[in-house]
Amino acid sequence: MAPVAPKSGDAIFASVDRVNAELFTLTYGAIVRQLLTDLEEVEEVNKQLDQMGYNIGVRLVDEFLAKSNVSRCVDFRETAEVIAKVGFKMFLGVTASVSNWDAEGTTCSIILEDNPLVDFVELPDTCQGLYYCNILSGVIRGALEMVSMKTEVTWLRDMLRGDDVFELQVKLLKQVPEEYPYKDDE
Amino acid sequence: MIVCVAVVGHQNNPLYIQSFTEADDALKLHHIVHCSLDVVDERVNNPKKSGPTLNETFLGLLYPTENYKVYGYLTNTKVKFILVTTDLDVRDADVRNFFRRFHTAYVDAVSNPFHVPGKKITSKVFAERVSTIVKSFGLSSGS
Amino acid sequence: MVREVSESCVESLLAEIVSSYCTGFYANKPELAARRIEAIGFQVGHQLSERYTMDRPRFTDHLEAIKFICKDFWSELFKKQIDNLKTNHRGTFVLQDNRFRWLAHMSIDPSVETSGNIQDPSAMAENKAAQATGMHLYFPCGIIRGALSNLGIPCAVSADISNLPACSFVVRIKA
Repeated sequence: MAPVAPKSGDAIFASVDRVNAELFTLTYGAIVRQLLTDLEEVEEVNKQLDQMGYNIGVRLVDEFLAKSNVSRCVDFRETAEVIAKVGFKMFLGVTASVSNWDAEGTTCSIILEDNPLVDFVELPDTCQGLYYCNILSGVIRGALEMVSMKTEVTWLRDMLRGDDVFELQVKLLKQVPEEYPYKDDE
Repeated sequence: MIVCVAVVGHQNNPLYIQSFTEADDALKLHHIVHCSLDVVDERVNNPKKSGPTLNETFLGLLYPTENYKVYGYLTNTKVKFILVTTDLDVRDADVRNFFRRFHTAYVDAVSNPFHVPGKKITSKVFAERVSTIVKSFGLSSGS
Repeated sequence: MVREVSESCVESLLAEIVSSYCTGFYANKPELAARRIEAIGFQVGHQLSERYTMDRPRFTDHLEAIKFICKDFWSELFKKQIDNLKTNHRGTFVLQDNRFRWLAHMSIDPSVETSGNIQDPSAMAENKAAQATGMHLYFPCGIIRGALSNLGIPCAVSADISNLPACSFVVRIKA
């Protein structure tokens, strides 16, 4: 598969302002813990993390497009590759891979073996229903929506639940070319 | 051989205590750990004014008993680590090395967002890491 | 090798904490929102101080711990030190960062002074921009309080942005 990005994820990551990952990891952990206290229901926390991720994805997509020189008009297959190889590298400093394409080319998995969000994290037994990294699925969904791809993102594997990798299934629901979904509020 | 390690909070509340003997002497070991806490307080409140040991986290040998040697360590956040060993010929470097690795494992354990400060450390990962560190005690030559 | 992430990641999280708590759950209760944001910072500061003091001897007094916050701790977070430290020698310390990074990318109304302490929430509510800035500062205030508290120094921390882009953190140690 030919690389679609004019700039590699490594090159961009080397050029952006970076911070100590511990600050990021611990801040995210503290947010999750505080949300569990305030929202009480694990399911509500999952939703809130996804929503926060969505908002972040919507905002970060411009920075992503500007710094990566990726053009907007790529198909879903290329887009998934770019997210995995460039997007994850540029923001989190880790590379993801894409696999498990379905025949139609509308569903795939993004596989993450190394994830700075979960350094030090061990889920307590009371939080078994928690999708700790749910912010990531929101980010992907939000970013893709800004490039006119409506998707559904679900966790298939989670290292915090004993799996060997993180696996996010991304399913393309609808693609609306040449139309930017601006919202009234925000 | 290390027979017991412990983490004790700043109000002398036990956060983690684990013995590594087959024998049924957990109570005795806990008692030794408990007694060592006073020695730590005394050591910290009346430091030897000379030498590089002033305010060092490693407190050295707290006291020897007939069968054991007890070593102490105090972090900047006022958390005590206690090590009880049956080895009578212990190298200082080995003990320092042990505490350094133990401290790293402790810091990672309390970096878990679900750990509540002042509460017991229940992490399985921490228990496994401690077990590994304990088993390798004295095996490596130096650090 | 020190693990790093893009600065955008941290800034995005910060923005989301503030908007979730201020416009979401506690839209009409800025005091509660502030307390939650501060609590998140407190946990982070508490954990970071544990990590960043690992390889150093214990501090002998409050000043030494405050200096650690100004130098090593601040450098780990912002790749620069606190620019100016003042004290009244009676338990109050003022830590000034001449260009506080977490405010650098925000548009702020410089005419309004905002405090990290909950003093007059109604006055703050009058100015949305000032309120948003103030809300952003509860997080670093919480970080400082969490770090010092874990080092055995209970204190109150507030922020003063009357000299933007400088930001001063006022630490009042509890006797």
